[in-house]
Amino acid sequence: MRVLLVEDDAAIAEFVSRGLREAGFAVDHCGDGRQGLEEALTTPYDVAIVDLMLPGLDGLALIDGMRRRGRDTPVLILSAKRAVDDRVRGLQAGGDDYLTKPFAFAELLARVQALVRRASRSPEPTTLSVADLSLDLLTRRVTRGETVIELRPREFALLEYLMRNAGRVVSKTMILSHVWEQSFDPQTNVVDVLVSRLRDRIDRPFDRKLLRTVRGVGYVLG
Amino acid sequence: MSSGERGSFGLRLALWYATLFVLGAMLIGVLTYTVTAASLAQRDRQIIQSKLGEYAVVYRRGGLRALRDAVQAEQVTAPERIFVRVIGHGAEALVLSAPGEWDVTALETGTLRLADGTMVQVGKSSESRRDLLRRFRAGLGLVTLSVVLIALAGGWLVTQSALGPIHRLRDAVGRIIATGQTGERVPVGRHEDAIAELTRLFNVMLDKIEGLVTGMHGALDNVSHDLRTPLTRLRGAAEMALAAPPDLDRYREALADCVDEADRVLVMLDTLMDISEAESGAMPLRRELVSLSDVVDLVVDLYRDVAEAKGVTLTSAANDPTYVSADRVRLEQAAANLVDNAVKYTASGGTVSIWSGRQGTRAVLRVTDTGIGIPADELPRIWDRLFRGDRSRSARGLGLGLSLIKAVVEAHGGTVGVASEPGRGSTFTLELPAVEARGNPSQM
Repeated sequence: MRVLLVEDDAAIAEFVSRGLREAGFAVDHCGDGRQGLEEALTTPYDVAIVDLMLPGLDGLALIDGMRRRGRDTPVLILSAKRAVDDRVRGLQAGGDDYLTKPFAFAELLARVQALVRRASRSPEPTTLSVADLSLDLLTRRVTRGETVIELRPREFALLEYLMRNAGRVVSKTMILSHVWEQSFDPQTNVVDVLVSRLRDRIDRPFDRKLLRTVRGVGYVLG
Repeated sequence: MSSGERGSFGLRLALWYATLFVLGAMLIGVLTYTVTAASLAQRDRQIIQSKLGEYAVVYRRGGLRALRDAVQAEQVTAPERIFVRVIGHGAEALVLSAPGEWDVTALETGTLRLADGTMVQVGKSSESRRDLLRRFRAGLGLVTLSVVLIALAGGWLVTQSALGPIHRLRDAVGRIIATGQTGERVPVGRHEDAIAELTRLFNVMLDKIEGLVTGMHGALDNVSHDLRTPLTRLRGAAEMALAAPPDLDRYREALADCVDEADRVLVMLDTLMDISEAESGAMPLRRELVSLSDVVDLVVDLYRDVAEAKGVTLTSAANDPTYVSADRVRLEQAAANLVDNAVKYTASGGTVSIWSGRQGTRAVLRVTDTGIGIPADELPRIWDRLFRGDRSRSARGLGLGLSLIKAVVEAHGGTVGVASEPGRGSTFTLELPAVEARGNPSQM
């Protein structure tokens, strides 16, 4: 998987490139919009990550240039602007997803992977499994080893999301938006409470703990 | 705009005014002159015609002799000099009475052929007429000159008085741009005209700008003040880890602290931005028809586990379906913040109940808890930005929740209210204008 990163801030580009390489991506970096467009047009990338404020050519014009010349590489927009209008404008210009700075790298990675999945349209599995934990999406049955685990709907949704992202850290924000479909951040951490309930069901009765908290970042299953 | 442009604009208006004024005056002058000249000539012709008639009668009665006598008598009595010539068959002048040269170009003449073929010619000098018209023209010139002067002066006065309010407006804008003092206002004129309307609208615009600027200053002050605390913690955590002997676990701990504090800074920044946007009227609201009971359901769903984990009973009730025109996410956030507070300040075994419904034209959402309550002296201040009551200091929070609720609800045209009894609990109320769900989509 090859990713084009167009970002003029060297420090941000550095940590995003490093993180993506560690996750198994090949990363090309451009610090300039015009150069970025040239790269995007000449090399077949799986995903492009484009900052909006760029020297040379701004991000929206870059995406527009790509789309005009028939490049349908999925684009993740990075922006320091958080207004809904900017998000809408970015998506209208042909971006596929939008992430506001500052962002958690875990979230950026999850979104990049989602874009790759969407583009490749890998077949939807009916059963998810991590170690001896398995979740049947059709019957909504959850088992660990031979034990059947009863879950409330929210707990099931959280587990499904964690299992789909098994081995990857998911942030609290990502959980909020996927499990509750909420775009605002409640003051009390409702995610903490749900995670601890889920942990009670899938981990506490068993020796091997699967759900880990990564302090400051989020949670990881497996 | 420079004063040169301003002067030339006034001058241009004045010149236009003067030109039209002078053209009008000249048209009147020329018309008067033409009519006067024509009527003077007409009068001369009438005199000649009547003289001709008179001489014809005299000639018929007394012949040439009587005519000659009459002409000579005329020369003595008539104040105006009349030229008379009688021409016989042989083209010889039979009677000639000419006070001066018989010059056809300077004479107004008339000719009458009598029954026997004799021709009587009467001429009248047009000199006095021309003299009158000459003086008339001289007068007209003088009048025109003074009209030009009056028109220029009048034009200048009129344009100055008409442009005065515009100049004052322009000067005020110039001063505001130069000094940045948006507190200045343009005085509104006494007359109810378009200029006064413009001035008033301009002042309203200044009010709005001032509100925005003040809001922005306030937000900036708050941001710089309140970001210092988490930034100090962030810096402290990093510095302590760096100063201590190398230890991987300690580093991990410090880095996690840094991420937590950075997240807190971000949430605070976003919330402060939301509050100042809502307060200044700059918050974009994506209004749609929202059912209050849906909002309550969502909030209950969000906080059920939290309340359960804390041993707090969370109940909800709704009467008639109640709809409001609101930004769904913002309203959900406001309701969630209220319930968040209620659960936070209610001890195990207590109850938080949410009620939604319609009271008259108002849609009401009410959150009642059996928590610690708020002292009476703190009640009016709880909506202030970053105010934290003595009892709430130990709980985690930013002190921004209530002011965000207030700002968002007021941006929707609603009100917030609170009643509390320390030790017994509090009731928070949000009121918004209710909207009919059916039959009146225009209110959406």
